[in-house]
Amino acid sequence: MTPLGAISNAALTATPWRLERRLEVDARRTATCRILGAVGALAVAGILLLITGRNAFWIFWQALDAVFGSQRGIEGVILRAIPILMTALGVALSLRMKVWNIGSDGQFLIGALAAVGVGIHVDGPGWLVLITMAVAATLAGAVWMLVPAFARAYWDVNEIITTLLLNFVALQLVTWSALGFWRDKAAAVIQSTREVPFTLAGLPGAQSVTIALLVPLVIAVVLWWVFRSTTIGYEIDTIGGNPRAAGFAGIAVPRRIMVVMLFTGAIAGLGGMLQLSAPGAQAMNAGFSAQFGLSGFIVAALAGASFVGVIVGGLFIAAMFYAGLVLQTKGLSVYIIFAIYGVILTGIALGEIAAGYRLVRRDKEGDDDGGAAESAAVPPEAERMGGNS
Amino acid sequence: MILAIIENAFLSLIGSAIPASAVVMLAATGAMLGERVGVLNLGQEGLIGIGAVYSVIAVLSWGVESPWVAMLIGMIAAAVAGLIFAVCVVAFRASQVLVGLALALGGIGLSNQLGTNRNGTPIQTLFREVNPGGVLDDNDLVSAFLFHDPVVYIAYIGLPVVLWFALFRTRHGMNMRAVGENPAAADAVGVSVTGWRIFYSVLGAALTGAGGAYMVLSFTPTWSPDIARGRGWIALAVVIFAGWRPGWAVAGALLYGSMISLDTTAQARGWGLPFLGASDLSFLLSMLPYVVTLVAILIPAGAVKLGRRVRSTAAPAALAIPYSREER
Repeated sequence: MTPLGAISNAALTATPWRLERRLEVDARRTATCRILGAVGALAVAGILLLITGRNAFWIFWQALDAVFGSQRGIEGVILRAIPILMTALGVALSLRMKVWNIGSDGQFLIGALAAVGVGIHVDGPGWLVLITMAVAATLAGAVWMLVPAFARAYWDVNEIITTLLLNFVALQLVTWSALGFWRDKAAAVIQSTREVPFTLAGLPGAQSVTIALLVPLVIAVVLWWVFRSTTIGYEIDTIGGNPRAAGFAGIAVPRRIMVVMLFTGAIAGLGGMLQLSAPGAQAMNAGFSAQFGLSGFIVAALAGASFVGVIVGGLFIAAMFYAGLVLQTKGLSVYIIFAIYGVILTGIALGEIAAGYRLVRRDKEGDDDGGAAESAAVPPEAERMGGNS
Repeated sequence: MILAIIENAFLSLIGSAIPASAVVMLAATGAMLGERVGVLNLGQEGLIGIGAVYSVIAVLSWGVESPWVAMLIGMIAAAVAGLIFAVCVVAFRASQVLVGLALALGGIGLSNQLGTNRNGTPIQTLFREVNPGGVLDDNDLVSAFLFHDPVVYIAYIGLPVVLWFALFRTRHGMNMRAVGENPAAADAVGVSVTGWRIFYSVLGAALTGAGGAYMVLSFTPTWSPDIARGRGWIALAVVIFAGWRPGWAVAGALLYGSMISLDTTAQARGWGLPFLGASDLSFLLSMLPYVVTLVAILIPAGAVKLGRRVRSTAAPAALAIPYSREER
């Protein structure tokens, strides 16, 4: 028995149930448990809010109203979902190989910075400049990943810290550009870079959402197809499963790791350009990335490297994010939202583990029981574990 | 002229580098303690925040008058957070990366929230510099180099020596390393892998909390949001740079500290270069601590790959891998 099993079974001695480890855990059950973990964590967060004297129900209602109450709310969610989806897709891609890209915030910022550089210095037809900006951003995101990717692929240097350290460098670089070399000298109040005079075309019927929304959707479909139907996708999954075995099977593991990591940087970098090309967001300052990399990371963790899951999870986290922004104007601090993020992430991690267990009745020991016990097994597990966070 | 600048710079660097990275040193020791038994705690940034904010609360709201007691309270708070983390990842075997990041996020959020009403309030309950006075006191260099808070000596000398001795010169330390390298073998000789992992990661969290407490009780000395400012991540990088050896962590922390104080010194003195104004130079220098830390991680690993083995750079073999008898 694992410690978990021992503890849980001790807690269950009074009941006719017993925890048993599953021999096989399929992806769908893991996904369900992750989501239940996140929901359980939200419930825990709500209870914590209630304990600290805040009306969680009112907050929840306000959040729902902020998101679904108007077209503005829905578009606000989508506007935030675009950068989150881009960083999440990058992280999810690297997670396929069990590589943790914590630096998507940095790659996102550098991509946007490259796009600003092109946008304020190059003159020409708008569509051409925008395409150049997108190319520059994609390349810049990949270049920002170059050192961590090389170090991980060829020198076995853990990528978590290297990618994260570069976030700080990127943030300083953006601050420098906004206060220094690309500063908009006309703007007095908020110091930022000069404004890029081009924006992407709006979606038909939308007030503020542009065709940028199509980019993460297309990338998600392409990635889904690559992992479903191509050799490269299969090789990447093999590396994720067991890099040694992949090497013995003749896969060029270091090169694959390097290339995939560069792609994750490129996607996040392009995300920076998409954010920059939205109307009203055409200049950069130090607050340009409102934790988009971090949110993307949570989405990828929630989706567990499933690209369709990223789209759904991205919209969910973006909705939370937008609701959080609205709630800030109603007295809920941004710090509490951070703390709730932490609780959710813990819930996801615990849900993932809970997926490996099921409750069985003691009198039916060893039985391969049906779905009833299984589906009943998951929610209390996920919730109780969320309660530890 | 240039000589004078270099001499001044050296004094300022030494003077401010040591206290500037005492936090990093404490957090790195805490992280290393957990990692030696196989638990990777990415939540250092959050633990520093929790340790700091509870020390502030102890001093400002609970009327604690001794910095040591305030630090202890910060350490206990961080240890509680570390216990939640340890139970999730060791007992429940949840992903150390995910829960660690959750702790980083949650810790930053929680500490900022708790500190909201205490922003910028100066802290009066401070650690006092150890200063024997007399002849030595007249010399700037000596005093900058030698005279610090007691916590600084503990961080740079006491803890590394104790940890080194415990890890490499005692049977207990050998068992600790076994838990981090080969938990199945440790289990087989009767060491409780779960118990040791939880105990040492909680102790490590308390040390990191002490780092946060030191920040507000001596270094800043006031509460401000995001108090850790990346030092928790730097500490994790220092552990890698150090190759999980306490002595090398001192070198790593001082390297980071001197980069930080290079920046502050340059700002304070308005240094500039012929092609770069003072403000631009300062932006450039503010990136330096992170870039230098990154390079410092890469060099030993690269040297190993190129066949010039300086020292061991290998992580504990079971780092971040949950242990379960069933999967042995």
